[in-house]
Amino acid sequence: MSGRAIVLKIVFALVVLLTVSGSRQVQAQFLHPKITSKETTIRRVVVLPAKVNVVRDSMKGPEGMAAESDELSARVEAMVSEVLSKQKFVKTLPATGGSAEADAQQKYNVADFQTKFDDLLPKIMKKRSDVKKGRFSMGDEVLNLNLEKGADAIVFIRGAGKKLTGGKTAMRWLVGGVVPAYLRLQIGIVDARNGEVLLYTDPDLAGDPTTAIDRLRKALEEGFKKLPEVKG
Amino acid sequence: MFPHKPTILIVAALCFCIGLTSLHPIALAQKKTAPVEATPPPVNETFKFGDVDLEVLQQADLLDVRLERDGLVLADESANAYVRRVGQSLIPRGLKLERVLWQFRVLRDPQPNAFALPNGSIYVTTGLLTLIDNESQLAAIIAHELTHVMRRHTYLHNRSDRKKFLTMNVMAAVGAYAPGGIVGAVIMAVTTVAPFIMVATMYGYSRDLEREADLKGIDMMISAEYAPEEMVNVMKLLDKDIEGENVRLFYNDHPSLDERIKYLSSYLGARADKVTQQMELNRERAAYFKKMEPVMRHDLQLAINGGRARSAVYLAQRLVDFDPDSENLFWLAEGYRALGPRAPQLTEKELTNSAIKDAQKKREKRTAEEEERELLATPSGQENWKKHQQMSEQFYQRALNAENPAPVAHRGLGLLYEKLGRGTDAVAEYEKYLELSPEASDRQRIQKRLEALKEKLK
Repeated sequence: MSGRAIVLKIVFALVVLLTVSGSRQVQAQFLHPKITSKETTIRRVVVLPAKVNVVRDSMKGPEGMAAESDELSARVEAMVSEVLSKQKFVKTLPATGGSAEADAQQKYNVADFQTKFDDLLPKIMKKRSDVKKGRFSMGDEVLNLNLEKGADAIVFIRGAGKKLTGGKTAMRWLVGGVVPAYLRLQIGIVDARNGEVLLYTDPDLAGDPTTAIDRLRKALEEGFKKLPEVKG
Repeated sequence: MFPHKPTILIVAALCFCIGLTSLHPIALAQKKTAPVEATPPPVNETFKFGDVDLEVLQQADLLDVRLERDGLVLADESANAYVRRVGQSLIPRGLKLERVLWQFRVLRDPQPNAFALPNGSIYVTTGLLTLIDNESQLAAIIAHELTHVMRRHTYLHNRSDRKKFLTMNVMAAVGAYAPGGIVGAVIMAVTTVAPFIMVATMYGYSRDLEREADLKGIDMMISAEYAPEEMVNVMKLLDKDIEGENVRLFYNDHPSLDERIKYLSSYLGARADKVTQQMELNRERAAYFKKMEPVMRHDLQLAINGGRARSAVYLAQRLVDFDPDSENLFWLAEGYRALGPRAPQLTEKELTNSAIKDAQKKREKRTAEEEERELLATPSGQENWKKHQQMSEQFYQRALNAENPAPVAHRGLGLLYEKLGRGTDAVAEYEKYLELSPEASDRQRIQKRLEALKEKLK
């Protein structure tokens, strides 16, 4: 075997290795046929508390960033509302409140639906394009959330990201093999009347997620690009 | 740029295996040299806080806040007070530990589990409270967790793990596995706040620390006058794999359950001078069930929501055996309805490692509705569904004929009849439910179903 052939083989093997180890699902958005056919229009939504988790990747392993994660969750939640409102003219409604007892029950309800979405998410992730076939639903139990009457849909937000410490950043440049800082969101919009998943999108951004503002807005605008605007 | 889940899992699994292999000889050496009676004092008095430990402590405090805020803590003061009372009775009198504030809470999670945070917060899930038989078993679980706090296991484990590069991969595996799937919301919350705490407190400490917690736990039980043999019995209970989940958390870490049962029995033989009378344990069981009945019912709803229908039937049957009142009969009926075409018990073949892994993969792909449809296409699935819908109907009827009938049984019957295509019967049951429960939180849903059915029947 010639030297050139060996080099080509090595390059090919490296490309395959890099493709396999570094591959990820491409950011995309998928709409339920009822949205594409305009049978259903999302005009008013209730955004449930976002759960975005960031970790600090240090030389001694990942460290929790609870306070930063909470702050980022709140920012993502607010920005989703902002983008939906400014770009698509979708109004965000508050989650209903009531007596202390009703509030406790509502807290349970929200927690249980968040869990239900977490259970559904891996199934969506396995075949995201099936959202276009209307395959995923959370069932009509969503009505038990007793949201405001005018709500068309419920927005669930999940996210994961990481920030690198100085040491880890240096290691990345010197040695390589370290996944750079990132944030990836997973957003599902669910019909508030029957639980069908109307939209799934997973916007992402590169760089430190804890300081992302404009980058985050841009990623979200991109993420909701296909969602039809509310007219009239 | 982003990690690909399966790739991480494979790498992490490999590293995890290497990690376990490296632990094994140490554990074996310890097993040979350490006599079972030689346990250290209950408190680690030599421990001094460092910056790294304070960071862990801060994360633990934030985790407490998050669990409460996210609706994962059960807001049942009586249940929390009960667990607190049992917990407090185990703590040695006059014990003061730096930076520990004892708190005992019940978590709304159908997965049987318990864990301790280094700040003194002990959590027991509704799934565990529903599975166990008596207060002594609860004491066994809490005593084990208390030892982790008193001996500062979380901090020691953290210090040790920070030195190991492999830990990172273990955490990556946990992180990649945790969101969604069959594990509970609690795990996700813990992973979010502190990946380290997730590994240490929920997936288990090292073999020697777990062993220490087991043995010290027995000592604490004896001091508090709880039946110590219940530590062994609770492990036997936890060994039940009703749902066929290979990722079971509590007491399922490095030392195998069999091994733990063996060394605990041996330690107990050396320490206990009598075995608690069965009659006494039965009395304790009755008192425990009476106290925990509302928590158990709450857990049944969580189990059904979480697709754990087999657990729901098993646990509801225990409740009915204890007290066949209308509400407990209703829960048994709900369990059978949720079970649908599934078999009530997994076969031995289905409980093998490879079968469990296959089932897990399928669960990740299929929705519950798709699973039901697939099963209903098989003769055994059809047979199961026929049997379970009959059982379900029978228990709903019994619930309605019992003293103080629970109106929700009408809702259950309505949902069952609707599924069976008995529209008129379903309408009658829904109407009865709405009439008897005008303030029901699911009124909107049932009203909508009722309207749709009436439209269909026109």
